[in-house]
Amino acid sequence: MGRKPGSVTWRLWAVVAAMGFGTLVITGRLAQLQLFDHQQYAHEARLTHMSEQTLLDRRGALLDRNGYPLAASQDTYDVMVESRAWSNGAVAAEAAAALSPAAGKSAEEMLAAVQDSDIFEVNVATGLNYERAEAVRALRLSGVRLVTSSHRVYPEGNLAAQLLGFVGRDNTGLTGLEADLNAILDGSAGTIRFERDGLGNQFPLGERLEIAPQPGANVVLTIDRYIQRLAEQELDRTIKDHKATGGSIIVVEPATGEILAMASRPTFDVTRLDLSDASKAALYRNRAITDQYEPGSVFKLVTTAAGIDSGTVSPDTWWYDNGSLSADSWTIRNWDLKAYGSQTIQQMLSKSLNTGAAWVAQQVGPERFYDYVSRFGFGSPTEIGLSGESSGRVRTPESDPASWRSVDMATNSFGQGISVTPLQMCMAVAAIANNGMLVKPHIIRAIVSPNATTSFDPEPVRQAISPQSSQTLREMMGVVVDGISASYLDVQGYRVGGKTGTASVATDSGGYKPDAYISSFVGIAPVENPRLAVLVKIDEPKEVPWGTVVAAPAFGRLVQDALAYLKVPPTESALVSTIQ
Amino acid sequence: MATVRKQERSALGLAHAGSLPVLLILAALVVGFTALLPLVQSSGATSTAGDIQRLEGERQDWQARLHELEVDVATLGSLARIESEARLRLGMTRPTETHYLTIDAPPPAERRLPSRYLPQDSRREESGDSLWDTLTGWLP
Repeated sequence: MGRKPGSVTWRLWAVVAAMGFGTLVITGRLAQLQLFDHQQYAHEARLTHMSEQTLLDRRGALLDRNGYPLAASQDTYDVMVESRAWSNGAVAAEAAAALSPAAGKSAEEMLAAVQDSDIFEVNVATGLNYERAEAVRALRLSGVRLVTSSHRVYPEGNLAAQLLGFVGRDNTGLTGLEADLNAILDGSAGTIRFERDGLGNQFPLGERLEIAPQPGANVVLTIDRYIQRLAEQELDRTIKDHKATGGSIIVVEPATGEILAMASRPTFDVTRLDLSDASKAALYRNRAITDQYEPGSVFKLVTTAAGIDSGTVSPDTWWYDNGSLSADSWTIRNWDLKAYGSQTIQQMLSKSLNTGAAWVAQQVGPERFYDYVSRFGFGSPTEIGLSGESSGRVRTPESDPASWRSVDMATNSFGQGISVTPLQMCMAVAAIANNGMLVKPHIIRAIVSPNATTSFDPEPVRQAISPQSSQTLREMMGVVVDGISASYLDVQGYRVGGKTGTASVATDSGGYKPDAYISSFVGIAPVENPRLAVLVKIDEPKEVPWGTVVAAPAFGRLVQDALAYLKVPPTESALVSTIQ
Repeated sequence: MATVRKQERSALGLAHAGSLPVLLILAALVVGFTALLPLVQSSGATSTAGDIQRLEGERQDWQARLHELEVDVATLGSLARIESEARLRLGMTRPTETHYLTIDAPPPAERRLPSRYLPQDSRREESGDSLWDTLTGWLP
């Protein structure tokens, strides 16, 4: 039973076996941690030590033609809190109390936001300005960090609100140019991943990967903020004076098609948006391009242009007005139901005689008449580049052979039974002012990105009428304005031309709204070398419906200010002295 | 010759016996410094990286403040405010009559866009105009 010298006892083997087993267990555990569960632990480690942020560069600004910002972005800051940092009630309460004054939110509100959330990081306050953000940063609270964000500001207030539109909380354009140009204004987001300390600050030599964001481009519009403001002031004043339901004013530079002003009412307050109120959605649309209406007597300019350019009539052509004109089984009458006897085409335009316009259209014939209507751009969108544009509605013998009748052309000749948008009407008048050349309207003058500037040149569409006919029409428009009482329209120092219109309001059912009218005025200034083409359209004015009384004064006041602002030289006779 | 050789050997022996500790100390110092070098480098790099981060932070702060000032400038230059100041503070009213004068003088220079709205242009740096000058020069 004696033990052999040098032999190993079972106890020693047991120790060796235990140590071997222990080593195996440890090795196995290590293998599990390092090999099999590596991904999970590496991920958890990254969550603890790594932070990832989305980097957003500033959204581009919308500028007026002189570079004044109409919509720009301002840096703001959001306060983020790590849920784990506020897991201890007492610590969280103390931190929230310290954070509350700087963040502008109650401590209870922030605590509730963090405690109710099971996500890693909670946004407890948004939209802090620089001073408040500095105050938060100075607190150096553990687990609290600031994320740079952006807020859209409108330095000119609600100017051109429907045209500019607005952005959502995520800075994505929702309406107007903000939506249409979102891809240009928005740029592209970047990201940054970095190792951070307990306060959320970056380790100086830690891992870091940054993809820089690209800033959005600034867009220079053709809008002139001064003329836009004039247009909006005149629109508001006219709507108030005549208790109208709304209206539009468009100001165009005829030679280039640049829109200098585009105003519509009713509008909305861009600083106090309530997107949950569906009833306000109608206020966001740009009525100058989306809404179509029957233009009334201002359309006689197109009829007269067709007559003169086709060589059918001249301003001095006589025709006899017996107060009515037959078309099919219908009778066309003048607005005042009177008969004027022998009249010239100029008198027809000045007195706005429906019978005369219908007579001219009949002389021109349907084929040529609708050809001119089409040449002036009616019946198709102007392609201004804004979403929601209507094309208007023009029924022709070709487009609607089953139901079109000659009475349709007779009523179309004085702007009833035909639908146009305010922009189409304004561009047609601009074509008359621009030697008969119809130019595509545009609202964007240049896109200025960090690396390049893209400019947009005028784009001629077609020669609607000859330059000679255009000259004749301009002169006739001047004579029309000469016949308007100075108490309604008197532009000192300049000769202006135009045409009034008073049209019934069509309903969806096909009839006309009783006792409701659209008063309008289209004009050019100055007649000799037009720099401006203007449309004033007032919806459903009360008491007096006439375009001469309602819309012409607004045109006169607007043009008086705008021409002086644009430094357009007045006529020689208007000069009172010369300063050397 | 034999004497001389002995003396040389002695000198060499003395030198060997006395310089060994010195050499060891020197070697230890070299090894120590060499070991410290990465630490010094790392410390310097950390410090520099920290400085860069701090300066980047400052740069972002200044940019944020600049953006706020830009918005302030735009808001202060808005037409509504100008009209309000003209009416309320300066007591100005709208003209009731219009008189046209011909002034034989060159027109004022074209208004410039604020610098941030223009593409990068190296020539502007040579002009020496500060951003603030550009912004204020653009005021109406």
